[in-house]
Amino acid sequence: MRFEPTSEQRDFVSSLDRLLAGSDTVAANRAWSDGDTGPGATLWQRLAEQGVNALVVAEESGGMGASDVELVLAHELLGRYAVPGPWAEVAYLSHALADAEALAALAEGELATVAVAPHTPYAVDGAAAAAVYVAEGDRLHRAAVSGGVESVDRSRRLATVAVGEALRTGDLERAFDTAVLATAAHLLGAGERVLADTVDYVKQRRQFGREIGSYQAIKHQLADVRIALDFARPLVHGAALAAPADRARDVSAAKAAAADAAYLASRVGLQCHGAIGYTQEFDLSLWLTRIRALVSAWGTPAFHRRRVLAAVLPAASR
Amino acid sequence: MNIVVCVKYVPDATADRQFESDNTVDRVGVDGLLSELDEYAVEQALQLREKREGEDIEITALCVGPEKAVDAIRKALQMGADKGVHVVDDAIAGSDSVATSLVLAKAREKIGAEKKVDLVMTGMASTDASMSVIPAMLAERLELPQVTFASVVESQGEVFRVRRDGDTATEIVEGRLPMVLSVTDQTGEARYPSFKGIMAAKKKPLETWALSDIGVEADQVGLSASWTAVEGTEARPPRTQGEIVTDEDGSGATALVDFLASKKFI
Repeated sequence: MRFEPTSEQRDFVSSLDRLLAGSDTVAANRAWSDGDTGPGATLWQRLAEQGVNALVVAEESGGMGASDVELVLAHELLGRYAVPGPWAEVAYLSHALADAEALAALAEGELATVAVAPHTPYAVDGAAAAAVYVAEGDRLHRAAVSGGVESVDRSRRLATVAVGEALRTGDLERAFDTAVLATAAHLLGAGERVLADTVDYVKQRRQFGREIGSYQAIKHQLADVRIALDFARPLVHGAALAAPADRARDVSAAKAAAADAAYLASRVGLQCHGAIGYTQEFDLSLWLTRIRALVSAWGTPAFHRRRVLAAVLPAASR
Repeated sequence: MNIVVCVKYVPDATADRQFESDNTVDRVGVDGLLSELDEYAVEQALQLREKREGEDIEITALCVGPEKAVDAIRKALQMGADKGVHVVDDAIAGSDSVATSLVLAKAREKIGAEKKVDLVMTGMASTDASMSVIPAMLAERLELPQVTFASVVESQGEVFRVRRDGDTATEIVEGRLPMVLSVTDQTGEARYPSFKGIMAAKKKPLETWALSDIGVEADQVGLSASWTAVEGTEARPPRTQGEIVTDEDGSGATALVDFLASKKFI
């Protein structure tokens, strides 16, 4: 079994990394949060042209036919750059949609979102989306936006939805696990970014005559974050290769670990930055709030831990 | 139309530059990539094909360099070029631009023997040596007109019209195929390989030629056959702290003027 990314996967990551590094994603995120979806929508379209939106849509439906490994690699970068938009939702729809036309539109870069109660009861960016869906029971339905709800992450513009016409439905379990995996990868990327920015900051910020990063109390905290992220990554990448029978267990373990690691990164990042870290104007806030929101999106840590427990100790779930 | 785009594999500009004991650039022991300035040439070739929809336009990426240089070709293929030709031979190591242009010209002739080449495209310079002379040398060797430093490229049929932005004037230059065309970084952002492009590149034809395949003798190239050689290299001195002028008694402006005058800025 191969655990190293292939050269194509590495090239894909480096291409995407360069594109995002040159796209001022922070400005797009801030504009998106303020209700101006223009820059974010342009970025969304560019990423669609790169194939990011349709990675796990089958080739015959106009998608890339890629594996969950590419999905994870791409979503890690989306998290690292705080790219706005309903990315995990599109990953969900890649498996949930069975309607050829709707899938083709998704693959072409249509901004689509979905609400999946109880774990994700609101449609992220519902007002900005061209297509809104809702999963109820074992069916996917079209949906209409009926109102708005505020998220702790201002770039996640949540919408309440009214259920519409039922649609041909794909594999909703697979869809849910894919969205969970995408969210785990997103958290991992966001955590890495917070750690990297914090390490940069503590090397510059001076207090008591020296860089604060030279104090052991700071170093130890950041080392703990490094360890947490390094232990979460194999779970996230491993879940991308999970056999179907183990997928639910593995993506839940990945989400729980990635959420813990990213949340630790955000807490430590905030503490090391001090007061400036609390300000909305400072870019760190983009990642802090997103991590907080994603920790509970697509299943709370408790839900995912229960799923892992149920898988390893079948009797415990009874 | 048959287009050959010359692409160079250069050391990553963000990494430390290393030199071999003979003062040639270390191209094997460091991370390399497709020269950014050549990406613009690939991009312009691809845009040409997109603009001239319906025409049969084939784009070949040609690279001279060590084995790892195949990465530069692969990048061009991922961006959308149709096939790659890699000239690799130990004897080429250390070649200056005169020798490199010979290899490129001979490789271009071999490509042309199979199918007529209409246009040879290059970037405006390499990001490592920054000589900017290859397009001119190549044009001379191939006995083709050269249109260089194009910042805007337009074409109609066999006629290419480009804009050259100089320091003192902007020229509009026209050329007729076949010719050598070099483009600048002002031509427009080069595309990033998409997932589809990356997967498609795996299946594209890539030929590897040695010097003997293109009819070049080993003693015509390499360090010993080069007209120029680097005598020595030195690391850039570390940045020193600038001079701070403090205006305490109103003499600050004079000090500033004196400084600028001493550096011949005014």
